[in-house]
Amino acid sequence: MPETAARAWTRKDLLGLEELSRAEIEHVLDTATGFKEISTRSIKKAPALRGKVVLNLFFEPSTRTKTSFSLAAQRLSADIVDIVKEASSAVKGESLVDTGRNLEAMGVDIVIIRHQQAGAPALLARSLDACVVNAGDGTHEHPTQGLLDIFTMREKLGDLTGRKIALVGDITHSRVARSNIWGLRSLGAEVGLIGPKTLIPGAFKELGVNIHHNLDEVLDHYDVFNILRIQMERQNKGLFPSVREYHYLYGIDSKRLSRMKSGVVIMHPGPINRGIEISHEVADGENSVILRQVSNGLAVRMAVLMLVQSARESHGG
Amino acid sequence: MSKAILVMGGRVIDPAGGHDAEGDVLIVDGRFAAIGKHTESAIRKQHPQVSEVTTVDARGLVVAPGLIDLRVHMGEPGHDSEETIAHGAEVAVHGGFTTVACLPDTDPPLDNVAAALYVKRQSEKAGFAEVHPVCALTRNREGKELAEIGQLIEAGAVAFSDEQRATDEPGGVLRGMRYAAMFDRAVIEYAQDPGLATGAMNAGFEATLAGLPGMPAVAEELAIAQACMFAREAGCHYHAAKLTTRNAVRAVKRARKLKVKVTAEVCAHHLAFTDAVVRRAYDTNFKVFPPFRTSGDIAWLKRGLQEGVIDCISSGHRPVPPQEKELEFGRAPFGVVGLETTLAAVITHLVETGDLTLPEALAKLTINPARVMRLHHKKGAIQPGFDGDLCLFDPAAKWEVTPDALASARKNSPFIGATLTGRAKFTITRGKVFAL
Repeated sequence: MPETAARAWTRKDLLGLEELSRAEIEHVLDTATGFKEISTRSIKKAPALRGKVVLNLFFEPSTRTKTSFSLAAQRLSADIVDIVKEASSAVKGESLVDTGRNLEAMGVDIVIIRHQQAGAPALLARSLDACVVNAGDGTHEHPTQGLLDIFTMREKLGDLTGRKIALVGDITHSRVARSNIWGLRSLGAEVGLIGPKTLIPGAFKELGVNIHHNLDEVLDHYDVFNILRIQMERQNKGLFPSVREYHYLYGIDSKRLSRMKSGVVIMHPGPINRGIEISHEVADGENSVILRQVSNGLAVRMAVLMLVQSARESHGG
Repeated sequence: MSKAILVMGGRVIDPAGGHDAEGDVLIVDGRFAAIGKHTESAIRKQHPQVSEVTTVDARGLVVAPGLIDLRVHMGEPGHDSEETIAHGAEVAVHGGFTTVACLPDTDPPLDNVAAALYVKRQSEKAGFAEVHPVCALTRNREGKELAEIGQLIEAGAVAFSDEQRATDEPGGVLRGMRYAAMFDRAVIEYAQDPGLATGAMNAGFEATLAGLPGMPAVAEELAIAQACMFAREAGCHYHAAKLTTRNAVRAVKRARKLKVKVTAEVCAHHLAFTDAVVRRAYDTNFKVFPPFRTSGDIAWLKRGLQEGVIDCISSGHRPVPPQEKELEFGRAPFGVVGLETTLAAVITHLVETGDLTLPEALAKLTINPARVMRLHHKKGAIQPGFDGDLCLFDPAAKWEVTPDALASARKNSPFIGATLTGRAKFTITRGKVFAL
């Protein structure tokens, strides 16, 4: 990689977007742009992580994110090992730190961790020399999802300064929302959160974001609607009355789409509940970039893996 | 023949007697004899039975009554690997404490005479700080059947508490308070509504961003207010432990106005940290129950201390072994050690900041907790005939809190890495001098 790249990124871990500067975020996105081009070649491999071992350590089920990280590591020529909760020692009572140290002793270079507990990647990162990449920790952050969302927005809209981005749905329990908020604020975008009062903590106001409980009033205000998956179990906890009422108040359908700006960008981090937070037509319609988010995810994760590893090596790790 | 200890040339502060002046303190046979100017020959004249005089040079030091801590968790019985009573009592001496109350949340709980006597015996055998049991209000701390409170007092119980269960079984607490009121003993509970106070940290901005479940402040206000109402109904002295929120301070203040017999306490660490420390690194040494709150709450705690709504400052000392703390924040147990940092935290975060004078602060570490424990007829003040317990500390000594600087076997302190002011140099317990 060019000299400048090494200086612009010095972190051996990616734990969240909160701690990243605008320059760091832009550096990841620019690096990802380069990798996106590789995906269009007939031979989709680059040698950046040849001889390195990447570990997917997943304590929560995931198909999309785990596969995306695996493919990203493979395209960079790394060896990849998957450990999911059922097969790990977590059930035998081994602590996370001990698990990490054991895996590190086997020569793992990068640990990609998904965990139910907020802060678990931070705990691992300070216990290991290996790079740690957060693939989602509790309701804290999901930085690579945030980065790929922002990458996709930037592709569609260019510079995001002053652009108006809405996140719709269950913000309280969404790590994707938090990573989006931090990243978008750093890039100078205007961020709005839309959803029921029981699913949007008022504390976010202190970060300078807008909070709306009436979606219909702000349909023509935003350039992007990033629609979050609604978790059915929240209904049981009494946070919203029913799926039908949620769809009635916050579901994005063709009727609502028709009242949005003409070039509005519709996003969803997946997996989609069709007919609930987003209608079939909108999900597959021409404003939707949902599948583009998935393919961009690969390029963003390649960039992240390469950057953390080279930062670790230049620290002499 | 008798032995005497002469503590010479210190700034003697006795908050109970309103005394603050340079002088000497004389202890004869483990009890205070006099404050004033003394010479050895005068001592021998006045106390002809004295055969030996030990002199302690206290110049540059503050000479205060031995510190008294209402809130120490000993691991023993049941979890001796965390802290034994003997070692905990030694750690207390390092922090300037000469008397500590240990809480009944042991395994088995301190709900019977044998357990109370065991604590006393371990404490006497060790010979460091005196450890007095706070015994369970109900059997097995279940809030159902009453513990044998009358006999437990005989065995040495200084107060009663079901520890952590004040509102789990409201009927039990109310009955317990009614019963304990007969014996003029305090019922100590820290109160959090159990249905609301689930979570890993203070609910609010920081928890929202950390992605951790939060405990709302209202859970504390609700439970403290409820316990005050029970105390009113029962005519019992209720000691509200570990206040952390603005509105809990207000609730105690309101109850006082209504003539409820309520005293209150804050742990020193709750004056030093806000919930903003958690998100920095998810360091589980900041995981404490109740959780660190906001700077607004701290301001109210300080106001409560100034106005006398909060009477006591405790350490809330709870040792946790490293393998339990080195976990994900949401999974690690609550608890911090505090015996060795409480005095310094009080000086650093209350006295140096101008919130309290040193004598005012010391009252909350000596005579006031002695009153809650009903030991104020012999402890907490430098008065002739009282137990000769002293804490001699350098009020200006700056020190960095490191694992090695702590005598505690467990190092789960939120102050690790912090520089604090004030450190105990000698602790004297009934005639025994410990140079630290």
